Amino acid sequence: MDMKRSYYEDIELFKSGTILFWSIIFLLALFTFPLYTSDYSIYLMSLIMVYVIVSVGLNILVGSTGQISLGHAGFFAIGAYATVLLMTHLQVPFFVAIIAAAFIAAFFGFILGLPALRLEGPYLTIATLAFGLAIMHVIGHTEIFGGRQGLIAPELDLGIKQLGLNFVISTVTQKYYLVLGFTIVMVLFAINILKTKPGRAFVAIRDSDIAAEVIGINLTIYKTLSFAVSAFYAGIAGGLFAFVLGFFDPFTFNLILSIIFIVMIVVGGLGSVMGSISGAALITYLMYDLFKNVDEAPFIGPLFLSFSERWMTITGMDNFNYIALGLVMIGIMLFEPLGLFGAWIRIKKYWKTWPF
Amino acid sequence: MRLNKVILVMFVVFCAVFLMSFAGWAQKAGFDDKEIRIGQWGPQTGPAAPWGAVARGTRVIFDLVNEEGGIHGRKIRYFIRDDQYNPSQTMAAVRDLVDRQGVFAFVGGVGTAPGLAVRDYLRQKKIIWTSVCTGAKGFYDPFNPYLWGVWVLYEDDGSIIAKFLVEKKKFKKIAYLYQNDDWGADAMVGIKKRLKTYGMDLVAAVPVEPIERDLSSQVARLKASGAEAVIGMVAPTQAAIALRTAVSVGFHPQWIHSYNLTDYVLMNMITDGLWAKEGVMTSAFTEDIFNYNIPIVKKYADAAKRLYPQERWGIFFAAGIVVAEPLVEALKRTGRNLSTEAVANQLNNLTFQGMGPKIKWTATNHRPPRELRIWQCGPKGEVIVVQDWTVNELPLELDKKK
Repeated sequence: MDMKRSYYEDIELFKSGTILFWSIIFLLALFTFPLYTSDYSIYLMSLIMVYVIVSVGLNILVGSTGQISLGHAGFFAIGAYATVLLMTHLQVPFFVAIIAAAFIAAFFGFILGLPALRLEGPYLTIATLAFGLAIMHVIGHTEIFGGRQGLIAPELDLGIKQLGLNFVISTVTQKYYLVLGFTIVMVLFAINILKTKPGRAFVAIRDSDIAAEVIGINLTIYKTLSFAVSAFYAGIAGGLFAFVLGFFDPFTFNLILSIIFIVMIVVGGLGSVMGSISGAALITYLMYDLFKNVDEAPFIGPLFLSFSERWMTITGMDNFNYIALGLVMIGIMLFEPLGLFGAWIRIKKYWKTWPF
Repeated sequence: MRLNKVILVMFVVFCAVFLMSFAGWAQKAGFDDKEIRIGQWGPQTGPAAPWGAVARGTRVIFDLVNEEGGIHGRKIRYFIRDDQYNPSQTMAAVRDLVDRQGVFAFVGGVGTAPGLAVRDYLRQKKIIWTSVCTGAKGFYDPFNPYLWGVWVLYEDDGSIIAKFLVEKKKFKKIAYLYQNDDWGADAMVGIKKRLKTYGMDLVAAVPVEPIERDLSSQVARLKASGAEAVIGMVAPTQAAIALRTAVSVGFHPQWIHSYNLTDYVLMNMITDGLWAKEGVMTSAFTEDIFNYNIPIVKKYADAAKRLYPQERWGIFFAAGIVVAEPLVEALKRTGRNLSTEAVANQLNNLTFQGMGPKIKWTATNHRPPRELRIWQCGPKGEVIVVQDWTVNELPLELDKKK
């Protein structure tokens, strides 16, 4: 679309003044968000950003490298459990704990990347699926992980206890800023990684791994690296999730969650960072918020309810949530296979010559 | 150069917002002159959806109250939120209700994990919460001044069942089939403690995973132990599978299950009548909900039939009423001058029995009652009360720690 005149133009973070301007506006909106909303919206926004981190990472693996993983809930769980356990049992400071947890997740990602060297397509998917399920059950059976009962996250102290530096944060707003900070860093990191050598190697592997190998890309390194990076993202997100929620049990990280992660990036747009962000935001909103307050709305509420009672199960409005979620997915697959990001490109193209 | 400036501006804004945000957002009040808002979460969709009947059952009692003109001039407005048994969804739903709708109190709420996720939040917000639908002990330790329990602790359940089997039925060999989690473990503590008072122990304790669907090895172990009675702390599906498997290998002990399996209609359906044929027993935490000679049962059952004819009058639907009864009673006693403290004060001094067990809360003890009954499934699937309300008098693990 845009004419690139040099390599440096291609790797610029902000391609034009307009993009820079709107990015700053967007960031300002995010930074001031807690000023004009309720605790609930801040919580939901924190949750969205946690999922944004996961899906940005998952998109590096699925969208850019072309390896499908149905086990990302497993990495997410490893991040959450490792962060909390490091903090409660070894008294590790939060920032160290969450990074260590992410590296542990990355290590598991590396391990899971090894079969990816030999397996392809559905076989790889099954291997990752088994990993996700196994993690859930191993955690559920081990006493130190809290068993089935789950774990309660400790007090979130951003300082270093051993040095007497305490900075305890407890309100949902403070946690929001913590998550926001992590999200910005992780998203910038993802944009950068895709524009450097590893990113280009990932894309080459996706397009044809034989061709990639021929031009000198080491498949062993880059396939496992892609898994590790992706798992690292899920680990960071898991650590944040633990504190946003405050409590988690192994079944939170079930197969459905892995599938939801995939749905997020497919709906958002495979292989694009902005796509992962918009997909995660849309799907989380649909799952957590849409239709939740419709029951109480005048006219529409009773209408939907009576329709549900007549034609669907007795549970009422919640039937529609699934339907809406499903329709959005089908609609996007049918009309916009590139996802929300594809739609965005189309809109941009259409308005390019405006007002003529 | 330009980027540095941008970063600087962003940093200043960030700091300003961060400092200002400590002020927080005003919470909406839970009631006004016309209505009191009460909420409940429960899985309406997803794998745990059958438990969702609890939240829907609660509608019956609130509708009845509203038909009678409400409580001291205020109608009850009731919100149900589907959390799909997912703690992150429960948290979202509860925050949504508290912030956007303004909720005075929560009743019930199915499940240990969803409940634990919102426990601290509700306590911090000082929102009244009666009768979480789980017998896990984690809710009562440490003491939570805004949570009142109705659902009998699993430890008491195990203990009362064991007492009945030994004292009434004179069984010598008792085995235990349990779900491999805190539910099974808590109840096992109660059973073992009780058996120890008779100088006995379980002849076998066999765990089951919640997702297992083939229980032949478990049943073989139970059979090999020579058990005369088997205590079960498992989900309905697994209880049904265990029973079928046992009958097919000619193993006919006295089965006795937890109070979560008191829906004999359902159990007979999924066991093709074996539940009645084998005379399976359970503990129970309500009046016999199919005995319409009991006035309070008749009142609610009739109302349920009239208001929600599409719903099945089963134990979980009825449990929705049981979890809400104490709060309605406390609201009535509070009178027109409503406040969280006033209602909490009434709940703190409440001695009450509706369709469920007898409640006796004090300012320092919000634990659920410690009494259960024992039922048996009769030949036609009806309820036979084989032992009326029995109290577990043994000290709880909860108290031992201190």
